[in-house]
Amino acid sequence: MPGRTKKDEPTAQDTNMEDAPPSAQPEAEEVDTEDQEEVQEEEEIEPQRVRILPGSTDTAASFEFVDEGHTVGNALRYIIMKNPDVEFCAYSIPHPSEPKMNLRIQTYDGLAVDALKKGLADLQDICDVVTDEFTTKKDQFNAEHGIVR
Amino acid sequence: MDGMDYDPMAMDGDSEQPQVKISAVLQQADKTHVDFELSRTNLSFANSLRRVIQAEVPTIAIDLVEIEVNTSVLADEFIAHRLGLIPLDSKNVGDLNYSRDCDCEQYCEQCSVTLNLHAKCTSDDIMKVYASDLVTDGQHANSVGKPVINDPEGLGCLLAKLRMGQELRLTCIAKKGIAKEHAKWMPTSAVGFEYDPHNKLQHTDLWFENDTDPAKEWPKSKHAEWEDPPQEGEPFDYDAVPNRFYFEVEAAGNMEPDQIIQNGIRILQQKIGGLLKGLDPRKYGGEEEPDFDGPRSPDMNLDGSTTPWQDTGYQTAYGGGYGGGQTSYGGSQTSYGQGSQSSFGQDGQGSYGQGGGGSYGNMTAYGTTPYGQSSWQ
Repeated sequence: MPGRTKKDEPTAQDTNMEDAPPSAQPEAEEVDTEDQEEVQEEEEIEPQRVRILPGSTDTAASFEFVDEGHTVGNALRYIIMKNPDVEFCAYSIPHPSEPKMNLRIQTYDGLAVDALKKGLADLQDICDVVTDEFTTKKDQFNAEHGIVR
Repeated sequence: MDGMDYDPMAMDGDSEQPQVKISAVLQQADKTHVDFELSRTNLSFANSLRRVIQAEVPTIAIDLVEIEVNTSVLADEFIAHRLGLIPLDSKNVGDLNYSRDCDCEQYCEQCSVTLNLHAKCTSDDIMKVYASDLVTDGQHANSVGKPVINDPEGLGCLLAKLRMGQELRLTCIAKKGIAKEHAKWMPTSAVGFEYDPHNKLQHTDLWFENDTDPAKEWPKSKHAEWEDPPQEGEPFDYDAVPNRFYFEVEAAGNMEPDQIIQNGIRILQQKIGGLLKGLDPRKYGGEEEPDFDGPRSPDMNLDGSTTPWQDTGYQTAYGGGYGGGQTSYGGSQTSYGQGSQSSFGQDGQGSYGQGGGGSYGNMTAYGTTPYGQSSWQ
């Protein structure tokens, strides 16, 4: 056995060289995945939470929202349906244990993405109005009833 | 967004924006209620508001408990659970960070409040330990994180009872969180939500036994007198939609109820704002599938010549004995630069075959390395 190992020694370099590319592969891949993880960590600072699902076209698109649910989904669905350019809008939560919400938009005219952006902006406007309304009405009520807060 | 400049609020039946009517802010000693009517809006939005108020308004609650001594009859985790459920003053919750977003390692005074409890029974009488016995660290100028005490004796909730010689010494770390994660972060104890008190829309069944009076089985709520009762023989209105919503928000005590509602709307706006922000910088081109997973972007890999797999990986493996191989690799890179991926693969193989001899015959591995496929494509 010792002799054999000695015999192998001179060829060892050659075999090493031969083996080099395949043995380097996992090594390179390891570096690769590590780097990917790093990149992903960097990405997590501002994760992209909306994506277009495959099979979508300009005027008929399905969006997938991560970490959103009925709270945004239903209100968004309603406000997008209000858009006269929108033919169809619906949302679903495909599985309760996945934090995902899918939204389908089909438009008569214009991009589906624009309808989505318009819907989100409209929803923000409604929130603004309700906040203002609530604040003024609360102050009014408190003043009328002599409540000091 | 061209061609979509309609007014969403003018689309509803009466062309007016949502309206809020505060019906009662109960002036009790604890100030825990706000009743209001939200009208001229739709069920979806009203329900979003209810959901966000109940589950996504951040408060502070004890999240970590370090128990030093516990010789009481209650188990550690039992006491830790009870501590978690104590309402803590969250009026200034905005001053705190979420612990996971904070720069610190585990927790710090910017993302947590520390409360200490040390109680030992030294008398024959049974000693009661109350929430008021929790002492905050005093690192925060305001009352944030202090246990909420509303009872006239000023004791707070009962935590445990100790007999002679039993001792309880522990440190609690209170963190900011939302009720979606754990119910202990709920700002509300109950939110009443009602619409259509006369059930004109038939959204509920209001089932009753044959021999009982439905009016007695289903007494009208106090909101019923706010709306017109159905007329005798009135036909069902198929186009009717609910548009008056009655909220009765009851706060748990850690926050004032109107603050809960205002924070709730703000959080809803932040959610929407975050989505808009994610959508706007990127121009979706219909079928364009943005690369969310996998290597970030091609230009990043091309620019960053310092990326590990370009330098270290290759040079350690081939650098020494493969001088010729490297130059020929360089040549193949130019062919890649000319823009044809396939010529890269062929060139790379061919030049290796020439430079390195027969042993490189099976060097197709080069074609499948990150060079050829995943990183530059």
